[in-house]
Amino acid sequence: MEQSAKSTVLLREIKRHRSVYLLLIIPLTYYIIFKYVPIFNGQIAFKDYMALDGVLGSKWVGLEHFRTFMHSYYFIELLRNTLMYSFGKLVFSLPLAILLSIAIYESTHPRLSKIVQTLAYLPHFLSWVIMYGILLALLAPGDGIVNDVIKAFGGKSVDFLTSTKAFPWIVILSDAWKEMGWSAIIFIAALMGIDPSLFEAALVEGANSWQRVRYITLPSIKPVIVIVVLLRLGTILDAGFNQIFMLYSTPVLSVGDIIDTWVYRQGLLEFQFGLATAVGLFKGAIGMALILTSNRLVKRFGGSALF
Amino acid sequence: MKKQRVLLIALVAMLSLVALPVFSQGSKDTAAATGPVTIELWYGAAVTEAGPPPADWVGFDIIKEKLNIDLKLTALPSNESDQDVKIQAAAAANNLPDLFMVRRDVLGRLVGQGLVASVDDLYAKMPVRTATHYDSVSQSHARFNGKSYGLADPGSINKNEGLLIRKDWLDNLGLSVPTTLDELMTVMHAFTYNDPDGNGKNDTYGYGAFQEVNNYEAWPGRRLEPLFGAFGVDGTWSMRAEDPGLMVLKSEFYDAMTFLKKMVDDGVMDPNWLAYKKDDFRAAWKQGRFGVMREQNAAFAAESNYAPFDKNFPNGEWIIVDAPVGPNGHASIGPYTASFRIYAISAKAEKAGKKDKIAELLEWMASDEGYYLLGWGVEGVNYTLDKNGVPVADGVANRDLAFSGPVGQTVTQLRNMVFYNGDIELLARYPKYTTATSKKEMSALDVLRVMQTKDWTAAVGSDTLPIANADLKRFYEQGLSEFITGKRVLNKANWDKWIEEFKKLGGQSWNDAGVAFAKENSLLI
Amino acid sequence: MKNKNPRMRTVSVTVKPTAADHSFNLFVDIFLVLLLVIIAIPLWSTITLSFRPNDYIGNNLQGMFLAPWKWSTAAYKALLGNAGFLLAFKNSFKILVGGVACALVLTIPLAYVLSITTLPGRRALSILVILPYVFNVGMIPSYLLVTKLGLIDKLVAVFLPGAISTYNCLIMRSFFEGIPNELKESARIDGATEIQVLLKVILPLSKAIIMTIGLFYGVSFWNDFFHAMLYLNSNSLQPLPILLRNILMASGMNEYVEVSAFGDAPIAAIKAASVFMSAIPMIIAYPFIQKYFTKGTLLGSVKG
Repeated sequence: MEQSAKSTVLLREIKRHRSVYLLLIIPLTYYIIFKYVPIFNGQIAFKDYMALDGVLGSKWVGLEHFRTFMHSYYFIELLRNTLMYSFGKLVFSLPLAILLSIAIYESTHPRLSKIVQTLAYLPHFLSWVIMYGILLALLAPGDGIVNDVIKAFGGKSVDFLTSTKAFPWIVILSDAWKEMGWSAIIFIAALMGIDPSLFEAALVEGANSWQRVRYITLPSIKPVIVIVVLLRLGTILDAGFNQIFMLYSTPVLSVGDIIDTWVYRQGLLEFQFGLATAVGLFKGAIGMALILTSNRLVKRFGGSALF
Repeated sequence: MKKQRVLLIALVAMLSLVALPVFSQGSKDTAAATGPVTIELWYGAAVTEAGPPPADWVGFDIIKEKLNIDLKLTALPSNESDQDVKIQAAAAANNLPDLFMVRRDVLGRLVGQGLVASVDDLYAKMPVRTATHYDSVSQSHARFNGKSYGLADPGSINKNEGLLIRKDWLDNLGLSVPTTLDELMTVMHAFTYNDPDGNGKNDTYGYGAFQEVNNYEAWPGRRLEPLFGAFGVDGTWSMRAEDPGLMVLKSEFYDAMTFLKKMVDDGVMDPNWLAYKKDDFRAAWKQGRFGVMREQNAAFAAESNYAPFDKNFPNGEWIIVDAPVGPNGHASIGPYTASFRIYAISAKAEKAGKKDKIAELLEWMASDEGYYLLGWGVEGVNYTLDKNGVPVADGVANRDLAFSGPVGQTVTQLRNMVFYNGDIELLARYPKYTTATSKKEMSALDVLRVMQTKDWTAAVGSDTLPIANADLKRFYEQGLSEFITGKRVLNKANWDKWIEEFKKLGGQSWNDAGVAFAKENSLLI
Repeated sequence: MKNKNPRMRTVSVTVKPTAADHSFNLFVDIFLVLLLVIIAIPLWSTITLSFRPNDYIGNNLQGMFLAPWKWSTAAYKALLGNAGFLLAFKNSFKILVGGVACALVLTIPLAYVLSITTLPGRRALSILVILPYVFNVGMIPSYLLVTKLGLIDKLVAVFLPGAISTYNCLIMRSFFEGIPNELKESARIDGATEIQVLLKVILPLSKAIIMTIGLFYGVSFWNDFFHAMLYLNSNSLQPLPILLRNILMASGMNEYVEVSAFGDAPIAAIKAASVFMSAIPMIIAYPFIQKYFTKGTLLGSVKG
């Protein structure tokens, strides 16, 4: 009895939203073709893929590719490095981007904030090849600007780019340097949606600027921050292939090699597509676990979750 | 009403979902037998950044008219790894073009997948081309399981590099040209600490390099081979019949590492060497940062490459010297091998019966008509012939159209498919010129000829030996570089321990597989 | 005292700024100025690099900041004289326009539907959307699909597989969710269909986010090297990122050639100049998008 009542309610709800489903048809068809067919093809992660036999015709090999990856000599180190860079960028670049967007929004000098807003996102367009050149000019042991300064003060020049201690910092800081302004755009967009009457109320209640940011500005863009963090957690094992690939060199492989660079060398360049796909699924599994956990946490604390 | 509309849209969406793949499958295999045969060619551009031949390039018409071939061109990406990725992706979808340039490592994997046609029967069908392009080394270069799967065209000329020293610095310091490794060390010290350019600043170094590594020149790579050659351990592999195998396993390799470590510790090595990429290195010697290097003939002496150095240092002079002699009398600039550009034919093209047509095309390219058209363009438009019959850019009315000009370069993008390093090519490619500032007479060809007279280690075929898997390769390179940077302490005990681990990780079986392969293909000397 | 904060101009109440407010403003401005300096470094050094003459000599500090007295425009001249540049630009433009249009048309409805909290099946739908984002099966499975669809060597192949970015879609959803529900409900009560709600209520209020997401898509398509390299074969279809990559990554540049493709310009300058030239459309586009970044976008509508 109760069951059927529930289902009639559901049916009524569905019926009420039928025009919504109409809107879904095209995007959903798109999803099936362009997102789920590749996932179906992703079964090559469990196969010894032979081009002539195709996806369906290739022989199953079970979890062999996963084993190859997880038993590979550097597996633990790769995982550690990848997580180090992902979390490093998450806890470093993201707060900086948020801070930047709030500063642009709050500045009492409209011209300054306009200039910063217009320039800050530009480094995003400098490719890592160019950024490497700049880093080299700054940090090269022989004639880098930083080392010139160190030497001028009587210090000994430091080989930053090939030092295993400095390299992780270079990666994380240069990423923040290049991408901070770009990441801030979305938060700026969110800030623009804040209802100014909220500030009016705060002003009336005598809140100072710090309190305003703390109790109005930040909470207003919290949903966007949460979504961005959740989505970044989902791809936590993507640590920035293009950047690392450009910056790393043999002496810093122990702290520079990440999963994607390994896959690139091992999988793509050696026709091991099953392996490459398997690693993709492995990364997905970790990402999914993180999303699920954090999504639940967000829900518990009353935030707007992903699903 | 509304319901119907929903249904209709859903239906259309479903239909398009089903129809798309069907459509794409139908569109193939419909080429008529009578029309021109379409040949898809993925080529390695001569100057990738200059842009492809324009759609109205005369070559297309001539090829269609003469050979009944509709040539479809695709320039491969300039970066080797990008090339590999593009080709392998196409291979995975069994969608390889008819004819394509490919690296040997990748070709081997395509052969394993049964995607490439054997070309053994084509040599006889291309007598002219085979005579100039494919000798026995070439024919065996792309041989897998006893069959040749790729047409290996001559690549860069071998022994085209040399050890160069700043003669003006030697003169300034009253030093003579070093002949032994010890003398070289003394010179490098002087270059570093005695202000060889007399500018009053401590801004010079002895040796300059960057990490340039490939199959047969393993870490630290090509730029440092003259130093390792002095210990008889240059190159990845020893191809000597008496002690074949990986160089890193030889005891002299440790001595060479010790020498390199000393260079680095003494500060005579440009400390940027580990951070440099190719362009940084090349910019560095033009700025007078170091006085000893191994450099390629054209990168050193071609007009536009030498010009900045000439302008910055009119009195500067690099000379090509003999490889320094090491403690046991060894000396070598490095290993040399025959370098090739491989063009392969897909199994798909063979199935479609295009193989003979491809041979026809390649043979035509080797004819005088094809050779000059692809190599230099149209006479009078892109080049003129000088009194020796060498194509030159001088007599051309519009310099942009000259084969060396920005537009002319686009119509000679396929020249690597016809060139075989003959004298005409070299004379045309490396003309004599007078430098702008110092008025020196220079020629990259003269430089090349001198470089070729120096001591080199014969290692032909060492680039075809099995390669290490990615983890082993990383262990190898990372380990060696850590010994040099000091992250690992370089002493005999540590070295032996590292070698043991290297062997365990697969180094021993890599060594054994390499030796077996070399013996099987009689590459040892 | 009049509060200079532009956001406050709409506020009728005037309150004397406290010491805390002053310290806040100081902090914000110092932060911005510092950032400006930090951001200016790579930009300025890339500019000076792009104007570097072939016979440049000097240390890094001079190279980064002080070079302009010896500017050479050789790099820009060489690039503009490059035969492939204009064609590549055109192709990129087609990809950009087609891609952004296609992406927005697909993304907006999906994001909107996902933002309807009362929708039965919303959770399942969200998971359906997120799964492919997290499980990235990589190059080959997608390549097989594009081949099957017959899209190889067609410009659409560059943007169609990425026409819905889950990331962008969910960000957009979160903005749509921020739009007060009363607005949508009142439209629905007036008998508007969902498509009408989307067009009449949501879109006018979402210009900033649509522009932003459009920018995200635009930049990703404009910069997309990888898919262009994989899916496009014909020389006549190559977009700018391919040319740019050929310039930036040219492995044998100047090596076996008697004269380089770019004449007198040094490679470093060519690289820097090509990065700038190819970013120009995006650099121009952003200030236009910024215009839609006006504060309190929702204000008028909520209050009626």
